[in-house]
Amino acid sequence: MLEALHLTKRYASLPAAQDVCFTLRPGQVLGCLGPNGSGKSTTVKMLTGLLEPTRGEVLFNGQNIRDNLAAYRKRLGYVPEEAHLYPYLTGWEYLELIGTLRGMPRPELEKKIDSLLSLFSLHAHRHAGIGSYSKGMRQRILLIAALMDNPDIFIFDEPLSGLDVTSALIFKNLVQALGQQGKLVFYCSHVLEVVEKVCSDILILRKGVVIAQDSVANIGQILGQSLENTFLHLVDDVDTVSVARDIVTVISAA
Amino acid sequence: MNFPLVTSSTHRWETFRHRPFARLVRLFTARIFHGGGDDDSEGLDLSIGLVLTLLALPGGFVSVLLFEKYGSLLQWMRGVTDFNPLAAALPDEYFFIVLSMVVTGAAAVWRWDSIFPDRRDYFNLVPLPIPTRSIFFANLIAMLYLVALLAIDVNAASSFLFPLVVCASQEHIVFFVRFATVHAISVLTASIFTFFAVFSLLGFLMAVLPNSIFKRLSPYLRALLVMFFVVLLCTSFALPIFLQRLPATPPWWTRLLPSTWFLGLGQLLRGEASPALAALGAFALPALASVIVIASGVYGLSYRRYFTRIPEMTEIAASRGSSKRSPLRTLLDRVVLRTPLQRGCFHFVWKTLLRSESHRLVLSAVAGLGLVLASQALMSAFAGHLTVVKVAVSADALSVPFIFAFCIIVGLRLVFEMPVEMRSNWIFRLLLDEENHECEPMARKVMLVSTLPWVFLVVLPVYAYAGGLLPGILHAALVAAWSVLLINAILLRFRKLPFTCSFPPFRQHSIVTLLAGVMAFFLFAVVTPEIEASALANPVWMAVFIPIAAVAWYIPHRIRRETMHHERILIFEEASTRAVEVLQLGD
Repeated sequence: MLEALHLTKRYASLPAAQDVCFTLRPGQVLGCLGPNGSGKSTTVKMLTGLLEPTRGEVLFNGQNIRDNLAAYRKRLGYVPEEAHLYPYLTGWEYLELIGTLRGMPRPELEKKIDSLLSLFSLHAHRHAGIGSYSKGMRQRILLIAALMDNPDIFIFDEPLSGLDVTSALIFKNLVQALGQQGKLVFYCSHVLEVVEKVCSDILILRKGVVIAQDSVANIGQILGQSLENTFLHLVDDVDTVSVARDIVTVISAA
Repeated sequence: MNFPLVTSSTHRWETFRHRPFARLVRLFTARIFHGGGDDDSEGLDLSIGLVLTLLALPGGFVSVLLFEKYGSLLQWMRGVTDFNPLAAALPDEYFFIVLSMVVTGAAAVWRWDSIFPDRRDYFNLVPLPIPTRSIFFANLIAMLYLVALLAIDVNAASSFLFPLVVCASQEHIVFFVRFATVHAISVLTASIFTFFAVFSLLGFLMAVLPNSIFKRLSPYLRALLVMFFVVLLCTSFALPIFLQRLPATPPWWTRLLPSTWFLGLGQLLRGEASPALAALGAFALPALASVIVIASGVYGLSYRRYFTRIPEMTEIAASRGSSKRSPLRTLLDRVVLRTPLQRGCFHFVWKTLLRSESHRLVLSAVAGLGLVLASQALMSAFAGHLTVVKVAVSADALSVPFIFAFCIIVGLRLVFEMPVEMRSNWIFRLLLDEENHECEPMARKVMLVSTLPWVFLVVLPVYAYAGGLLPGILHAALVAAWSVLLINAILLRFRKLPFTCSFPPFRQHSIVTLLAGVMAFFLFAVVTPEIEASALANPVWMAVFIPIAAVAWYIPHRIRRETMHHERILIFEEASTRAVEVLQLGD
């Protein structure tokens, strides 16, 4: 079980995340929603141990993750928001580097890389430099890197970014399958339809504060609206139709 | 007060600045400085002001240092009464010509990838309602602007300061003006020639070779060019003396050195050229005109062949390679690299060294320096000695492997500090344990693997063959031991994974570190071979190195033991030194 207890992060006294609390149980797929600047990335970085909270703690199976970060990270698979990879390494070499650093046994590592590259349709390009990969291909490399050591916790930050329709569909089904396998999945995204489809629970952040947290079904029922409308109602007071109309007016003006 | 003429000119300039073509020129100029490329690489990105300052510094700095040579008071104090500034200035003029060529050439090689519009430019600009000829000419103008800027910037300080220093003892300003004009013409034409020569080579290869082969070949060619420039710079002190003594018809190989053409050009313009220099100087202007014509031709050709065909080129390079591991790597993983971190990071470091262009360029420059120093040592070794055995055990010949070992170790230590793709280091931040102090042993293994194999596979047989078996073994053992000790000392308090940490900030002790490096070279590659050459006469005397080695091992070992825990934690960002430290005594 992964618990975020009163997570707070301040940058030069400006709060990026305030008192964020939630629990992630085995088999649960928790979707994290929020507009830009709502504190999603900060929360993710604190969950991965990349950022130390100003206050609060992250517990994994009752133990603070910072007590033994190496052991925690061995059980963590993380896909960051942006696919920053070493462009001069080939896809195969990058995955080999990650697998070696994760301490995976050599024969298992090579077998898994080979199989996963085939399943993610990258096998033909495995010896090409990552610099020549498209955004979707880089994203698939990140997904393989997160999956290949079979970790218990997955943290996905905008994992569908750049993926083609087939890969996105495969991934959505994969997330559900991981949940059914008893893995803990924390899923950050802007795409409400995907969150609605793959997540069992939702956490909504606004200006660094948790403003709603419940199951997908319950959140919709509370306001009697679709997730999209519920999200807009909770997060933004923006009249989207009127903004769209204003944009058309501006671009049409002489 | 309102000045209508000024207001009108400003308005016209502002209107011109915002026209699409002018905006394109600005875009390409900025791209050449800040780098382009298809891979979003960060690399070594410096601001334009800083780049221009760095490029202008060497010329100005060297000019000021020469004041001691030309000062009339100092000449009088030395008892020189018939000092001829023009004759005395010849070696220095040659040096400034070489300097301007090296700095301009290095800048052109450094920005090699950014000179041509690339895939990113294509997909951003071609869909816009701009004719492709505008892109072609805007990039051409940006390039010409860059050439002019580089040539002026690199030579501005020396074009004023050097003539000022040389003519300090002259009474007539005409002498200064004439000297300065000729000097400026020589260095500026040399700069422009170098840029267009490098550009012609690049454009020719782009036009002739398939894109995939060009991309593969390009880094090696750049490394070769850097080495050539380093060799040119390092021989600039010796060559003028040779040129002054040349017969009327200079040897054929001097015609292959463009730097001699521009020296000859200057001497011709001044009316002081010897027949040999006049012959060489005659090449300068035709060569300059030729490279400009060639560069223009290949620019058009490669633009047509490369830029306009970008959409037809596949983004993904041909996928060649093998997933099978080489036996050498398996052996290395089993014997040398004992932990997953060492295995993973060691191969990462090697791949970065071999594939990152900026790292390769810096290493090539250091290798070029090593090559020059080793060649000079070898030349000194062969001068005067008669037998191969005597040459092999002379201090100069013995210093050759020490020079190479020093350059490799210090070069590696230098490039370890250069970050690569900083944004991609998140994976190491995520997977590496900060408390695990394995980065230093891993860096040590990279250095040892780069040094020891050639010491035993090349140095040992060569010196054993040339100087005898025992001297060969003792020499190889000494080079290996000294290399291990140098690595041990140079990695003191090294607590980062190479290439993953931000650049270290300039600190007050950086100059001291530089001086310590020069001193270390002197001890490592000059003093040690001198002692060794004497000791090899009676091999028992080689025992003198044992206590020296013990001290050299013990001091870093002691410092390591006393290093505090927080100073050993793995870092990914270098903290800048604060101007004011708050002691927080009240806490």
